[in-house]
Amino acid sequence: MTTIDSPARTVGRVRRPGPRRGSEAVWFVVPFVLLVAIWWLVVEVTGTTARTFPQVTDVIAALAEMAASGDLARHLGASLQRMLIGAVLAVVTAIPFGIALGSSPRLSAFFSPLLRFSVALAGIAWIPIATLWLGYGDRAVIFIVWNAMFFALTYNTVLGVQQIPVQTVRAARSMGTRGPRIVWEVLLPGALPSIVTGLRIGLGYGWRGLVAAEIIATNAGLGYALFLAQSQFDTGVIIASMVIIGVLWLLMDRLLLAPLERRTVERWGMKAVS
Amino acid sequence: MNTLEINNLRKEYVDHYTGETIPAIGEVTFSIGEGEFVSVLGPSGCGKTTVLNIVAGFIDHTAGDVLVHGKSVHGPGPDRGVVFQSHALFPWKTVLGNVTFGLRMKGVPRVERERAAADILELVGLSGFERKYPHELSGGMQQRLGLARVLVNEPEVMLMDEPFASIDAQTRRKLQQDLTEIFEKRRPTVFFVTHDIDEAVFLSDRVVVLSARPSTVAEIIDVDLPRPRTWRETVEDPRFREYTHHIEERLGGGEPDAQAG
Repeated sequence: MTTIDSPARTVGRVRRPGPRRGSEAVWFVVPFVLLVAIWWLVVEVTGTTARTFPQVTDVIAALAEMAASGDLARHLGASLQRMLIGAVLAVVTAIPFGIALGSSPRLSAFFSPLLRFSVALAGIAWIPIATLWLGYGDRAVIFIVWNAMFFALTYNTVLGVQQIPVQTVRAARSMGTRGPRIVWEVLLPGALPSIVTGLRIGLGYGWRGLVAAEIIATNAGLGYALFLAQSQFDTGVIIASMVIIGVLWLLMDRLLLAPLERRTVERWGMKAVS
Repeated sequence: MNTLEINNLRKEYVDHYTGETIPAIGEVTFSIGEGEFVSVLGPSGCGKTTVLNIVAGFIDHTAGDVLVHGKSVHGPGPDRGVVFQSHALFPWKTVLGNVTFGLRMKGVPRVERERAAADILELVGLSGFERKYPHELSGGMQQRLGLARVLVNEPEVMLMDEPFASIDAQTRRKLQQDLTEIFEKRRPTVFFVTHDIDEAVFLSDRVVVLSARPSTVAEIIDVDLPRPRTWRETVEDPRFREYTHHIEERLGGGEPDAQAG
């Protein structure tokens, strides 16, 4: 056996070399620059007052002010800490639950109507009950983040497990994989494309839930900063907080989720379902 | 004692819509000796893959016995390695990770695993591809990997479920040739399911011809062709054509699927 059929062409996204990635980053920023330019122009031409909508420079000033006073660090720290705890709790609860449901047709048939029902309610709608149970503060906000993420992550994990070809599981079993080892060796990696999708959707829900819960339930965090600025008619801080919330989400997506996807799902040639 | 014995195997299933009991396997009995290559051949839908799935332990049977070295088998196990038509490789593992999977499950230490893997990858012509992922390989290479992944575990019997059916004709010829060489070198015990008559005769020591559903053994043919075999020499052997013509007639001649790739 000397000759070998040639390797298949790699399907899917190929990692781009340095310069290309750089130009990609530039193109990512361009729409935002345009948006800011239009914003500046519209406010300037129409003569809108800061009471209604701030000028770009007002927002930059507000940002500088928040940074200088330490408010920015305080709000950012509080929000990120709650987000992190809520997200970790969601991952360690939703993925095992999803794998259990996905590998048992009976369990998933029983729970799937409940799951669909809960996806619609997840997150924000739970804020009143969360504050009743847990009071105003960190715990209620963390509960909301967990809750907002849990159902989307569970749902996508179930889907991921169910999409693993039966032959793949059979192959593992016929090579002596038994019991819980199947979970670690086959179900978890096999479901990963869908789990990553669930994580992305879930983090989006969680992030929104976080801001909403902070508006109502706390005295620190980006949501609270928004709320406080509104009561003081400080549109500069309102927009500055919104910008921070949006930018943080983009960073989370680009620095956390995209590399995770590149290193696993894309490397393995398993396309993420979305 | 035979390595694999299939005695009076029957399989019925209940149709979910009509509630009728449908016989899939009428009555199948045959055995495979140690180091023997046996193909199971039949028209499509005759239940040959069902027989393989029962032997593999993936599905239950209604009656009869499956014995490996005289012991009745239940459920899948590493004594019966399976090569799937869809190759069923683990996309999240490299070539090396796929080949060493079974040994890892057995608890073989890493150094030994990798030594065994290197030998097998050399044998199937995949040396140098250890760090690649399955999606980076061609269809033919994926199936070689599927074969290597089972060979390395040295199972009592290898179950091959139409492994070359979804591979292009030219590559298929090459893979059949390579499989023959590997078989002649290592002498594993092979249960090979196919609907390709030429393939069955070329590869096998014996061919078990199944009838249409509910399947029964129509005939068992001893293939008396010299080894080592090559496609070029074997097709020129008049006995090769005799065997294939005989089987074609046995299958009803006109069965188009029996000839199709």
